[in-house]
Amino acid sequence: MRLKRTGFGWLLLSPTLLLLGLFGVFPFLYVVWVSFHEWNPFAANPEKVFNWANNYRALVFDRGFLASLGVTLAFVFFAVSSQVILGYLLAQAFMRDFPGKAFFRTIHTLPLIMAPIIVGSVWKLMTTPSIGIIPYLLRNTVGFDLNIGTSALAAFVITVIMDVWHWTPLVTLSLIAALVSLPPDPFEQAQIDGADRWQIFRHITLPMIAPALIATVFIRLMDAMRTVDEVLMLTGGGPGSATRFLGVHIFKEVFPRTNYGYGSAVSVIVLYLTIVVCWLLYVGLIAPRTTRR
Amino acid sequence: MTYLSRAGALALAMGLTGLSSPALADFWSDAGANYQGVVLRGVTESTPPSNYIKDVLAPQFEAATGIKVEIETTSWDQMYDKAIKDMEAGTGIYDMVYIEQDIIYAYLARNFLVDITQALADKPELKAPTFDEGKFTSFANYFKDANGHLFGVPMEAFIKLYLYRKDLFEDPAIQAAFKEKTGRDLKPATTHEEYTAIADFFTEYGKENGLELWGSTAQAHTGHPASWYEFFESVAPTFGVWNWGIDANNNYAATVANGGKMNSDEAKAALKWWLHLRDVGPPESAQSTWTEVATTFAAGRAAQGLVYGENAAWIASDPNQSKVVGKVGFALPPTAPGVMEAAEAGTGYIGYYDGGAFGVPVTSKNREAALLFLQFIGQDEVQADWAVAAPRITNTATYDDPKIAEMDAKLGGYYTMLRDQGRLFAGAPPYPFHAQLRGALEPIFFDILTGKIGPDEGLDAMAAKTEEELTALGYRK
Amino acid sequence: MRSRKTPWLSVALWSLLSFVTLFPIYWMFVISMKAPVELFSTPDILLRSLDWSNYVEVLESPTLRGYMVNSLVISSGNAVLVTALGFLACYALTRYDLPGKESIFFWTITNRMAPPAVFLLPLFLLLTQVYRIGDFSLLDTRIGMILVYCTFNLPFAIWTLRPTLDAIPKELDEAALVDGASAWRVIWDVILPLARPGLAVTLILTWVFAWNEYLLAATLTNFTARTLTTGLSEYVTTTGTAWGIMAAISVFTLIPALIVFSLVQRHIVTGLTFGAVKG
Repeated sequence: MRLKRTGFGWLLLSPTLLLLGLFGVFPFLYVVWVSFHEWNPFAANPEKVFNWANNYRALVFDRGFLASLGVTLAFVFFAVSSQVILGYLLAQAFMRDFPGKAFFRTIHTLPLIMAPIIVGSVWKLMTTPSIGIIPYLLRNTVGFDLNIGTSALAAFVITVIMDVWHWTPLVTLSLIAALVSLPPDPFEQAQIDGADRWQIFRHITLPMIAPALIATVFIRLMDAMRTVDEVLMLTGGGPGSATRFLGVHIFKEVFPRTNYGYGSAVSVIVLYLTIVVCWLLYVGLIAPRTTRR
Repeated sequence: MTYLSRAGALALAMGLTGLSSPALADFWSDAGANYQGVVLRGVTESTPPSNYIKDVLAPQFEAATGIKVEIETTSWDQMYDKAIKDMEAGTGIYDMVYIEQDIIYAYLARNFLVDITQALADKPELKAPTFDEGKFTSFANYFKDANGHLFGVPMEAFIKLYLYRKDLFEDPAIQAAFKEKTGRDLKPATTHEEYTAIADFFTEYGKENGLELWGSTAQAHTGHPASWYEFFESVAPTFGVWNWGIDANNNYAATVANGGKMNSDEAKAALKWWLHLRDVGPPESAQSTWTEVATTFAAGRAAQGLVYGENAAWIASDPNQSKVVGKVGFALPPTAPGVMEAAEAGTGYIGYYDGGAFGVPVTSKNREAALLFLQFIGQDEVQADWAVAAPRITNTATYDDPKIAEMDAKLGGYYTMLRDQGRLFAGAPPYPFHAQLRGALEPIFFDILTGKIGPDEGLDAMAAKTEEELTALGYRK
Repeated sequence: MRSRKTPWLSVALWSLLSFVTLFPIYWMFVISMKAPVELFSTPDILLRSLDWSNYVEVLESPTLRGYMVNSLVISSGNAVLVTALGFLACYALTRYDLPGKESIFFWTITNRMAPPAVFLLPLFLLLTQVYRIGDFSLLDTRIGMILVYCTFNLPFAIWTLRPTLDAIPKELDEAALVDGASAWRVIWDVILPLARPGLAVTLILTWVFAWNEYLLAATLTNFTARTLTTGLSEYVTTTGTAWGIMAAISVFTLIPALIVFSLVQRHIVTGLTFGAVKG
């Protein structure tokens, strides 16, 4: 405010802008440029052929892409909302004192530090039909045959559970931080006024932790939108296209099919959609709170 | 294994220099003298034969020539992606790339590879006296162009065989039960119908006796290309549907209407036959790639199955990985009437001949030194030990080596079968659009596997999609 | 309140929950202890015998040790770089009236949203052909990977650090400036100590993200800068995935992360203040 020397501000910001420009914007511009071309190095004509917006036009009618978009949104919705609910409950539970609290908190952060590709491998081994420990236990205890190779629903649910297992700790941690920083007065006042637990949550806790909650959702949302490693490892996108999320879909377009032109168009659209969703979230929910101060 | 093979490398290097005549030793050191300080870089899929190159042959070569070799081993799709990016962009990172038999035509179409025959003819001083293109098995033909010029030195070759459990097939009680149920003798199937009968019988038998045993493996993953490969390269050919049912000489027709066979009655019968095996097979079949099929068989969970030759040796002989050591029999896949005759006559084939070679990208900055290395790994001298450490045979002379004969006996005659029957098998059809077309068809194929679309309509849709995709790629006019 | 009366019930409940959370990690350990032949048979939930051979093989491999060093250098270098740059950027964004700073802030985060697969080709081309001096290109170098990882880690750092810096009263800077301190001094002596919890959290989380990254490292490294996660892909082969060794490597990837994580546990609780309200 009173620091008027904006030149110094730009100086501090410049390395960040430079790096993101060199390794973020440049590649993106290249992808945009390629997306306006017909380009598959193993087509009869391996060169790039400018084809206006044909890739984008094809995309709108591409059932494979639309199906992938659909399952991705479902995946993101179920995974992120479960993470938020579970993460909140765990964070609240950690607000109390009980023996071994620090120990249990450490345990509940462990999944966070595992590499996605390892998470995918372990869950694949745990869920191999008939031989994995989970299908084995389910069959012998409740008589349920879990086969993620044949049941689209089972495969989808397992990918969601895997993601929830992996990333709930991030939500828990950030909500613990938010809850710890809450001032005690409004809660005491509410109890004096005779508010019940739901009312306290609805009218006091939720509004106060909302910024942290939204920011966490924001991070999870964009990471979930581009999930690749775990799912590719676990199901390969199957059965059928039940778990062919956008990340997997794009991977399959540009890796085995070397469909660079079309794959680029899909990526640009996916990025655009993610930005729009996040922008709306940001403008509608976060920016007003940060600028209000 | 890396630890062991490194110890072996030392012994081998010493043995090789001790055995080879002075003249031969001189060639490598003389030839290498011009390339001191050069570091050759190669990329390959992480397979036992490739690891042998990395851990044993590369150090040997360095000892003989003074040229250093670095081999990057990685997973299948990464290997392709990295080699293609390098050659496409002309970066020149790699001096050698692994060429799987099914990608060679794509690479040739793009002129990505150095013509080895020509390059050695142009520079006779590079030609090693112990290297002879004529010594390779017929598998090398897959790496030649129309003029018979070699573009890759074969380094691994396998056939996908019919494996069965000898112990079960020879058990008198089981034989009697089978006879009683089906009225036939229990022996390896030669027709599809026999195969199905055996599969049904053993699945039933496993259920009745509370065993973890099923009648057949099936490489039927619902999200991985392995299932697509099993159907088009191993199952459909035994029904007489070759080259994926596409007629390359007829404008790449795939639909019956246009003269193709992808949605022919034979193809549909083949698909239904295979889907049935999947249904009576162990539950993990729907999540099985080539890896899991081999492990399923090695764990003793299947009475018979089509298994990639890469895995035949360890399933039959490595007790650390397999529960069926000494219990494995090998046979040719069952075929429809007329198919065997066509294969004998060379107009068709009964299964998949898999493998790969090492080639030199034209973008390599060390082309000549790389050619020396390729000749080094192509010599007869290194083959026998290589085959013992990582079972595969690419040179005809290797079969006669006493070490290999001894191993063949232990493997239940796998090598004999490779030598004598190898010609009945064939690699992938010579299409430069291999992975591109597969990627386009996979979603439909996976839908067939999950039952979202019936096998008949599914194949119709795939045949139509093939023609559409090949038109888009510019191959079908 | 309830928990005070029945602490053991809550401990029991937590133990049960922890069992669920820990199970996949435990299972990874079980796999690392088994011979390949045992993996494809009826599973046994208990570990009957300990077979350390997979670990011995990992430890005895100079290649894997090299990957481990690369991973440590790349993830540590990247975490320090993005935390430092993110800190400076957030300081600028919270202290100066820069035109369009909200847009800049939002734009930085969009760099994390890109689906990675398609960006591999342009990154490969840039690293090999554009960002090079003579024969030295950034491909397959540790410094190259440190810089590339900024695309997804720098936005994260800015995102986590901004609330922290927002929460530090601006009056502190102004007071120090009035006392005649230079702008750099203010950042170093006044702001940095106050931002420490936030910096610690940013450091550890970006470190974990870099440590665990696979796709970019697999494509952009070849021989000299390969990381531990790419080393895993060497064990996925057509003749069987060496699950035992993969699991052993995975356990090794977990250990450094675990050590760093438990050291800064308490900072995480106070420092991870994504947009937390001021008290």
